[in-house]
Amino acid sequence: MVDVRKVRGGGGLDPIRAEVDELLDSVVESTAKATEAFFASYDENPDPARLAAWLAPRCWREIDYVFLLNEEIARYGMRFERRHITLLAKQSFQEAEHYDMVGRAIESLGGTVPTSVPPEAEPWSKFLWECLDRHPLAAIAAWNLSETSASGSFEPTFRGAERHGLDEVMRIYKRIETDEKFHVGLGLQMLSTYAEDDEDRAEILRAMRGMRDIAWKTFTPESVDAARA
Amino acid sequence: MTDTWTTLEVESAQLCATDVMAITLVDPGGEPLPGWAPGAHIDVDLGAGFVRQYSLCGDPGDTGRWRIAVLRERAGRGGSERVHSLVRAGVKLPVRGPRNHFPLVDADRYLFIAGGIGITPILPMVRRVAAQGRPWTLRYGGRCRGAMAFVDELRAVPGGDLDVVPEDERGLLDLRAVLGSPTERTAIFCCGPERLIAAVEREAAHWPAGSLHRERFSAALVDTGSGGGAFDVVLQRSGLRLTVPEYDSLLEVIESAGIDVESSCRAGICGTCLVRVCAGEPDHRDDVLSDDERARGDVVLPCVSRARGQVLVLDL
Repeated sequence: MVDVRKVRGGGGLDPIRAEVDELLDSVVESTAKATEAFFASYDENPDPARLAAWLAPRCWREIDYVFLLNEEIARYGMRFERRHITLLAKQSFQEAEHYDMVGRAIESLGGTVPTSVPPEAEPWSKFLWECLDRHPLAAIAAWNLSETSASGSFEPTFRGAERHGLDEVMRIYKRIETDEKFHVGLGLQMLSTYAEDDEDRAEILRAMRGMRDIAWKTFTPESVDAARA
Repeated sequence: MTDTWTTLEVESAQLCATDVMAITLVDPGGEPLPGWAPGAHIDVDLGAGFVRQYSLCGDPGDTGRWRIAVLRERAGRGGSERVHSLVRAGVKLPVRGPRNHFPLVDADRYLFIAGGIGITPILPMVRRVAAQGRPWTLRYGGRCRGAMAFVDELRAVPGGDLDVVPEDERGLLDLRAVLGSPTERTAIFCCGPERLIAAVEREAAHWPAGSLHRERFSAALVDTGSGGGAFDVVLQRSGLRLTVPEYDSLLEVIESAGIDVESSCRAGICGTCLVRVCAGEPDHRDDVLSDDERARGDVVLPCVSRARGQVLVLDL
């Protein structure tokens, strides 16, 4: 099976490759654990409203990526190869599709699709946009780590959805899983292509370390319960 | 990221080997130039729409001047011809950078492999590594001795193991000899024509992952599946034979025949459209298959890749 973490690009990440890999592995593991914990709690209390609340910050991420990617293109796009502008735009389109798809899943569970940042997603969103303001590659690094974190949630989500007969949730996340391989590969390719000096690499690591501490938290059952309290 | 254009003046422009012009650039006002590290390149606007990238091959410690070297490529697209015919001392050139997509990484020892003008990013790397007292080996191949730039400068670098291999005297570089036995904590840096890089990738396939660092003269062949000649694709399970025209993608032709192939990026990054190859040789243009997978040739990403021969047989 293809490993998008090994996508070809430039050598810009080579000096920090080991730490980047460690950060990505770490957030995948944290998110997988958090998702397992959520579905274990859902096994005990299979209230559709809880699942809808768990999906709400996921849904917001999708539309916030749309806003962010378009802003990344608007601010910094002319520094990138044309094909990377095209691919960022393609990712943006797919994120918009995901917002629609996850939104429909939330509605099917009786929930409400978020149209502003849910409080539990605020730290994530705030950090992402701060990264965009700091450096052209920082937002890419932050969303890349965040997208990678989501990949840790897929298998536990599929198992949980199967246990509860949530076919639509399963179908939607199968589609999202496919697209996120593209997004993870694109982000890493851009970082390795455009990172040129130690300052660029320091911004990338700062963004990834910061996002590592945030990205998995909204997957926990505690986050859902706090949001519903 | 150094992203603004500035105008520099050509201090000197001299042939340093057959068809290779060495050019030094200075700030017209005598201001110091931005610092750079081995592996860095600059963009040079040659006018008439020609913007080209050239590796810096001077001394990173000299903030007063940058040096580049340009091979005249008579079958090229015109950029190098403009350099050789128009660039003279006193000419002003807009430049941007430096940028570094080919940085030197920390290692216990270094193996450098350069082909022709690919010596340009390698030369400052060799100097840096020698200054650090690290063991280094350089295998430098070229068409003929007179066409190989900077040989004297390389011979003056202390320590190390330099072998200059003119093809007309000694044939091609013996990559198997130099890459046959992997060594721990050794970084391989390769720059040169595509066929050299492809050969190094093949011969270094059994080295630890991440050992090989390479810089191509041109962007990797990610051309969203167009060009490269027409060929036929046989979809074995469906019993279909289709023609893929020169400027249509393999994936689009398959889909047009009503065969579903799951895809996402359609740019050779995500690997979603991966298909097993039953026969024929793929022309891999993706960015994600490993060197091993490419060499085996038993899978292909039809969104961007094509066929080397007349027919490709796929498990569809």
